[in-house]
Amino acid sequence: MNMEIATQLSDQIARYLDLATTEAKLTAVNMANVDTPGYRTVGMDFEAEMREALVDAGQGHAPRKVRVTEVDGLIARPDGNNVSVDRESLNLAEAQLKFRTGVALLRQEYQRVLDAIHADK
Amino acid sequence: MNLFGMMETSGSAMEAERMRAEVVAANMANAETTRTAQGGPYRRQEVVFSANQGDPNFLDSMTSASAGGTATTSAVLQTPALPDGTAVAPGVHISAVVEDSSPPLKRYDPGHPDAGPDGYVSYPDINPLTEMVDLMGATRAYGLNGAAVQAEKGMITSALEIAKS
Repeated sequence: MNMEIATQLSDQIARYLDLATTEAKLTAVNMANVDTPGYRTVGMDFEAEMREALVDAGQGHAPRKVRVTEVDGLIARPDGNNVSVDRESLNLAEAQLKFRTGVALLRQEYQRVLDAIHADK
Repeated sequence: MNLFGMMETSGSAMEAERMRAEVVAANMANAETTRTAQGGPYRRQEVVFSANQGDPNFLDSMTSASAGGTATTSAVLQTPALPDGTAVAPGVHISAVVEDSSPPLKRYDPGHPDAGPDGYVSYPDINPLTEMVDLMGATRAYGLNGAAVQAEKGMITSALEIAKS
């Protein structure tokens, strides 16, 4: 049996945290450019990226680059900007909650490993 | 770009919005200014926002520096990019402050020291309503990015909890 502190689950949670960070990052970029003429909202497909990340983590591959796309279906203002403040606020709240969930899961996972280490006490 | 890079993004927007509010304040303060250093009445100023292009040099050096290290760091530090390879702008900046070229308003006041030979005085074409709407937009956008900074702070704080047992 291998003796690894980082379990496969902790690796998966780490990738989940990475993706949640990227999502928050993109939201921050969109929010920063709320008044930039001609700016188009960017976004990512969180679920699809997470699915791939889980496969990658299972096979021990390094994290790949997140595919960022321009979001369609948003109403553009006359200056060509299509940032929706409501959409971004909601996305930020969601990314934040995902991040906190990931942190809580990771803590629990590390606690499990620690409990195993201290099992003889 | 890491978690702290997000604060830089939101910070750049707050800086730009504050500058926009300052320009609006200058416009309103000079709504009746008939004499400037360039001659003629004050001209209404407007800011032009443009998305940051990122710093490729910084990114390259970071990526090459971390190439020798673990494989995870380089992928995480990369700036998100669109499929065609253009980097997603990590913020915003004011690229220019332009002058409104609309002609000045003429008011008949022959006793005014800046009155022309025909007795008309040139006043800046500043509409308080337009300025107030612009100021409101700047305030709202400032608040929005302030809220984003708050959220990022929360995320960094919670990330610190991982290490606590």
